[in-house]
Amino acid sequence: MMRRYESDVCIIGGGITAAMLAQKLQELRPGISIVVVEAGNKFFDLNRRMEYRERSIRYAENPWPGDFIEDQAAGGVISRTMAVGGSALHWGGTCNRFSEEDLRLKSMYGLHVDWPIEWKELENFYCEGERRLGVSGEPSPLPEDWRSEPYPMPAMAMTYNLTQLKKWAEQSGIPFWSTPQAKNTRPYDGRAQCIRCNTCSICPTGARYSPDFTFQRMLAGKNFLLHDRTLVRKLVLNESKPTVAAAQAVHRDVPNDPIEYRAPVFVLASGYCWSPHLLLLSQCSRYPTGLANGSGLVGRYMCGHAFISAQIEIDAKIYPGMNEQHGLISRQFFRSRPGTPFIRHDLRVWESSAGHEPRLQSPEGKLLLGDSLLADWRERARRGTARVRGYYDVHPDRESSLTLDETSRNRWGDPLPKIAHRADAASEARQPFNRDHFRDLFQKLAQSGNGKILTTGAGNYWDHPAGGCRMGADPAESVCDSYGQTHDHENLFVAGSPTLPNAGCTNGTLTFVALTLRSAERIVQRFRKPA
Amino acid sequence: MRRRSLLGWLASLAPWRAGAQSASFPGGQAKALRALAAAVLPSELGPRNLESTAVAFERWVREYRPGAEMEHGYGFTRLRWKAPSPAPVYMGQLQALRLTGDAEADRAAVEASLVAANVTALPRTPEGKHVAADLMAFYFRSSEANDLCYRAHIGRDLCRGLDGSEREPK
Repeated sequence: MMRRYESDVCIIGGGITAAMLAQKLQELRPGISIVVVEAGNKFFDLNRRMEYRERSIRYAENPWPGDFIEDQAAGGVISRTMAVGGSALHWGGTCNRFSEEDLRLKSMYGLHVDWPIEWKELENFYCEGERRLGVSGEPSPLPEDWRSEPYPMPAMAMTYNLTQLKKWAEQSGIPFWSTPQAKNTRPYDGRAQCIRCNTCSICPTGARYSPDFTFQRMLAGKNFLLHDRTLVRKLVLNESKPTVAAAQAVHRDVPNDPIEYRAPVFVLASGYCWSPHLLLLSQCSRYPTGLANGSGLVGRYMCGHAFISAQIEIDAKIYPGMNEQHGLISRQFFRSRPGTPFIRHDLRVWESSAGHEPRLQSPEGKLLLGDSLLADWRERARRGTARVRGYYDVHPDRESSLTLDETSRNRWGDPLPKIAHRADAASEARQPFNRDHFRDLFQKLAQSGNGKILTTGAGNYWDHPAGGCRMGADPAESVCDSYGQTHDHENLFVAGSPTLPNAGCTNGTLTFVALTLRSAERIVQRFRKPA
Repeated sequence: MRRRSLLGWLASLAPWRAGAQSASFPGGQAKALRALAAAVLPSELGPRNLESTAVAFERWVREYRPGAEMEHGYGFTRLRWKAPSPAPVYMGQLQALRLTGDAEADRAAVEASLVAANVTALPRTPEGKHVAADLMAFYFRSSEANDLCYRAHIGRDLCRGLDGSEREPK
């Protein structure tokens, strides 16, 4: 028997984008009803997170048991997490902003595309996102990184290690400062102050923001439903017009009773993978290549950024474990200088124990036990290590794609997504220069502090992925407008990460949130203000 | 009983046997485990801390959950589950090591056993390949060992508050 739910807004996906959107919509229009539909489980168990953390440390057990769906696996993703809270259940909380250059690649550098948004406008939503998530940070000293509001909380305390690392790294002439994070440096928004557990992927106190807190608060109020373990399999259109009429779903525990969600507004908030996937799955005779796909760009221009890392041994005493999840950032390289080869990247430094961990065998092959192991370890621990990483700009080709993989299906028979990233020709051509740039940069950092590069390595995937439903002013060149409203279906929106034309050169979550908060202001115009 | 049926029946007993050995670990090998601890852990710990480490390791084995989901998190997309309890392997190895309490002889026996088992690196967490390597991983990868190495109260795995983190650990 078909179960049917009706609401004013149906949000598909239950991660950070859904949480921010639902929260803001209800604040702006307290009377509207919202249902959030999430395929994964919900974790409203803050009281058990200390126990999960312990098991994770002692046994390498999953600190979020059950945060995946075994037969809902996508090729080319970097996380299997499907749960209420999404990847922001276990994120590190890093809340960097993009810069104006990310939105103006075409007009400033003749590369890729411009976003149809003004930086000044987006900046306001960055501030709002920082307030909602609770970001602690230190303003960038660079004038181009101006902010219209201070951070909601003071920056995370600089540990002794970070002070040493900053001293070392700045000898190169590059300024570094504390990385902004959604972690409470004082009690904030009903959540506790960070107590430096050093396991931010499972924060046992709630000091690091995760969307479950927002959802729990909303569930305590009215007009809000959260349906977990419910997979939306298809969107269907009204017979007479190109608007979405319903989302067809199935509850994982009651597979024989289909569910239908009906609403005047649908929002896809399932992230860069599952949002375009659902659009592609929703093929019909009028839209044989999937909904919102008049441009043929659903699942195209999948983006992310490449990265290069190094472990650099330095002349400083570093005590591994003081606060490994907090690091330094420099935005010195966010702006490519005119007249020089294009390169944009952030630069990050963390404490590290690489090269200074206990080992069972000496380089000569001698087994080390007990006292000899400890003596060997102590000898190597006299110097410290810095972990250094740069996320750098690569721009996606049109063929950087998410497609339906007909050879891999879930238990319902739906083909699963497969992502294959591909850089555009200009990005490909820059690769040798990028590698040389980072080699020189790491050497400069190392040399300035009598350091020694232990290892370097380039990532074999694109981090902080996004795209698949890119925004744009031209319906032939984009899937949605800058508010996420799809060009083809006026009551269907895509929120957050899929709408990005390019993924910048630093963590994307705060940008996904800022764009979502901006979308909320457009979506809410469809509902009357309360009297 | 046909051979295949017998083997099937025996296999069905294996998890039960492992579970039973896990629950009673270290069974009759308590003395051997302490001799192993003395051979492979730093003497700086002293008898009391060696004993408490052995006790903590016993508890670790008893509270091991075969089949538990393992971390997959960001960047690690392969789903994995914890292997069967290492208790039966440990018990067999402890027995085979025939440790006597003579530190020198015991170290030689452990080294020979590690070489024979081709164990050349400390696992990230105990993994059930060799009891000596796992006991060492259990201790040397711990927050306490980190403090011992650096001769400072770092408390890597503790929740410690933000105050004072700007100072050099002592």
